[in-house]
Amino acid sequence: MDNSSVSYLESRKLVKRWSGPIPALVNTFIILAFFYVTWWIFQDPRGLMRMYTPYVGYMVCRWLLILFIWVAYIFDFWPFKRSWLRNTHPLIKGTVLTLVSVAAMIILIKGFFIEILGNFGIAYFDPGRLEAMGITDFYSIEYAAEAIMMFAAIASWLSPSWVVACENAPWQKLDQPARGITIAVVTFFMSMIVYFLTMHSHMAILFYPWQKFTAICPPYWEKFANTVSGNFHIAWIMCCTVVVWLFETIWERYPFNLIKNNALRRTASFFGIIAIAVSLCFFLYYAQDLVWGETIRGTRRLMAPDWRWLHVGEMAIFWLVPSLYLTFYCNNWPTKFSRPVNVCIRTLLTAALAALVYIIYYKTSHLFLGTQKGFSHPQQFPMIPMIWLINIFLINIWFMDGWPGWKAVPKTAAELEEVKEEIVAHDVRWTPGLAKGLIVGLCAGVLLYVVIINALPWVGANFTIIN
Amino acid sequence: MSKDNKSISRRDFVKGAATGLVAGAFAGMGMYSYTSSAYGRLPKTERKMQDFGACRSVRVTNISETSWFNNAHLIGDIHEAGGLLVNQYTLNWAPFANGKGSAKGSYDEGIGSIKELLPHDLKKAWEIQKKLALHPDNPGGYSCLIEVESLDGSIHKYLLDTGWSYEWMEDSFKREGIDKMLEEQQIEALFISHEHWDHFWGLPVTVKYDNRIPLYIHDGFYEEGLRYIKDCGYKGDMTVVDKPITEIVPGMALLKFDVPIINRVFGETSLAFNIKDKGLVLISGCCHQGILKFADFAHANLKYDNDKFYGIYGGLHISPFEDWDPKYDDLVISLGQWGFERIGCNHCTGHLTAKKFIEAGYPVVRGTARFRSASKDYLGNGDKISFGC
Repeated sequence: MDNSSVSYLESRKLVKRWSGPIPALVNTFIILAFFYVTWWIFQDPRGLMRMYTPYVGYMVCRWLLILFIWVAYIFDFWPFKRSWLRNTHPLIKGTVLTLVSVAAMIILIKGFFIEILGNFGIAYFDPGRLEAMGITDFYSIEYAAEAIMMFAAIASWLSPSWVVACENAPWQKLDQPARGITIAVVTFFMSMIVYFLTMHSHMAILFYPWQKFTAICPPYWEKFANTVSGNFHIAWIMCCTVVVWLFETIWERYPFNLIKNNALRRTASFFGIIAIAVSLCFFLYYAQDLVWGETIRGTRRLMAPDWRWLHVGEMAIFWLVPSLYLTFYCNNWPTKFSRPVNVCIRTLLTAALAALVYIIYYKTSHLFLGTQKGFSHPQQFPMIPMIWLINIFLINIWFMDGWPGWKAVPKTAAELEEVKEEIVAHDVRWTPGLAKGLIVGLCAGVLLYVVIINALPWVGANFTIIN
Repeated sequence: MSKDNKSISRRDFVKGAATGLVAGAFAGMGMYSYTSSAYGRLPKTERKMQDFGACRSVRVTNISETSWFNNAHLIGDIHEAGGLLVNQYTLNWAPFANGKGSAKGSYDEGIGSIKELLPHDLKKAWEIQKKLALHPDNPGGYSCLIEVESLDGSIHKYLLDTGWSYEWMEDSFKREGIDKMLEEQQIEALFISHEHWDHFWGLPVTVKYDNRIPLYIHDGFYEEGLRYIKDCGYKGDMTVVDKPITEIVPGMALLKFDVPIINRVFGETSLAFNIKDKGLVLISGCCHQGILKFADFAHANLKYDNDKFYGIYGGLHISPFEDWDPKYDDLVISLGQWGFERIGCNHCTGHLTAKKFIEAGYPVVRGTARFRSASKDYLGNGDKISFGC
């Protein structure tokens, strides 16, 4: 196995430029500064471009995320040559790759969704058409941006899932750009199907009268989710997006990578991610009911089922931030134990950190992001700053090799073997000891869950995040 | 060998336990969280049943529900300024305009141009501001007169909100005789439901006729709002509402809701009435907390006749810009279960919502579409609604 036979991200190793925590501290400082400057320029309602309307800003950060995934994961940086990736200064590389992604995003949003789909297929993708039919310019843009953004939300789950869970199968042996184009087209097509099954009805009931001839109205999930809003789907789809990346980063594709059979492993990974995400989704919804009380259908904000579903996705995103940080800037700490123990510690640690980030965000974000105090302001979308921050993580790690704190060096043959070990692991084998541990662990896990759901009402009654 | 085996076995046990811990927690989440048994164990709300007395009837006169006259201009200005999170005092609307364009307005510069004229020469003040503001003819305002008949037959009059445009509100007050009532101090208090432009910025019009009228505001008012109350010449007794329930007179209570609201406003207060032998009536400015949250809060905390929801009046803040969202349909679908007998809505409820309410068969009290109100589907300017008469 040599470096050219694996993707660029797998072929390189990031090495600290300085010892100790200095690289992490330097990168964190630079990333936060870059976040705030770019937030002010592009998103902040008090800043220059003010894209946080909120859907325009939400659409942009979502699609940027997809483009970054496409560039790095799906196309493996094609058409840029491996030698260019290795030899170019990270600052230049980061700038070029980010600008290419932005250009591709603009072409996709403006060219495909608005001009082609909006003009020749579905009117609500084109703000101009909505405005011409009597909707105010602001809401025309917001509605179109919402639809385009939702497409990205689905794609941001399916695109990386095809790489991470399905291991690019059955096109893994194709060269670029054939592999990239194939997977992009296939996942785009799948996203379109999921979009029609989950969000088209939501869009159809935005308009009066309900567009019953073109979409199922009221939607099929109404009774189950206690709302006609598509936020129900945003909840589990966002959880899928988050779980894909937990699976790829802090879980090192464990435990599904223990399955030796390729087809079985890939299928189990793909659907396992969905099962875990749905579990997480139900829990996060229930947790809100335990803290804030049961929802009242038809009301607004905090007590409304549609908002609670949306907030499930928001809470999930809060988990992704510390998980990616741990992987990118803390060398996926801890690494000294066995893989299952490392995974368990990271899961508990990042979940606790997610709660901390959540509290800090709601206590302070209105002081510096231009957002407003409160959990459920109709224009409060914590997913926007969180994804904006994640995008900057990705630019830094994928496009800039962790500069300035880290630099990329090619992996040795032995290190490349570890890449294979992550795809199909051999470090955990079925033994009586493992089986006993598993049973005890399962009981402890259930107990932990029981303790948490019993503690949450008490937390709700005794802790106030926002005064 | 045996030691090695034990060690391997222990290591395997730990691996299994670590895997099981995470798997077990997720299994619990997935298999229990969204089930009927999980919801069966949620604590039932204990009703406090606070007795706030009763009144015989409540009559509402809609002084103005047309807060603005052109949706496209209003939302276009907000859009141009950066959207629904932009501070309302910077939008460059009268009376805080400075002529510098979208999003460059400032409280200080705006009020500086008219402060000397407040509250006596509102005509001149508004003329000055119209030259500086974006879409100067768009402002209208929201305000209503509430007449509460006590069980002994005495009448108590209150104002809920004071509108926006000085010009429009002066005309509206005169049309309904509010100016005289204020001058004669017949009106016992002014409740400002929230700090938004269309409910609060017309304060000098009320102050012009009665600068000592008792005033109630939510404790979420921002600094600019508090300064404006002083700057427009108010000299009376102001109550900053910081309790969930404030009893006003028997059968009338002010309820406080801490909700974040668009364009940097926080909190709304609304009114609840217990009508003898009828039930609960809820009256709101914009009801940003949501009408069902309002009703649910009242249900959990107040005691009222027949334990029945009787009526609603006010802006219900569903589709104020004639925008829509599927979650609004949740209200249209579920409102009927609450059993309201009289629904008087207007303003930020939106015409589309009123239309959907009517289509759903709800008892919506229709209006006359006079004085620039646009639809007979809801109560327009100059229309009245009574509860319990």
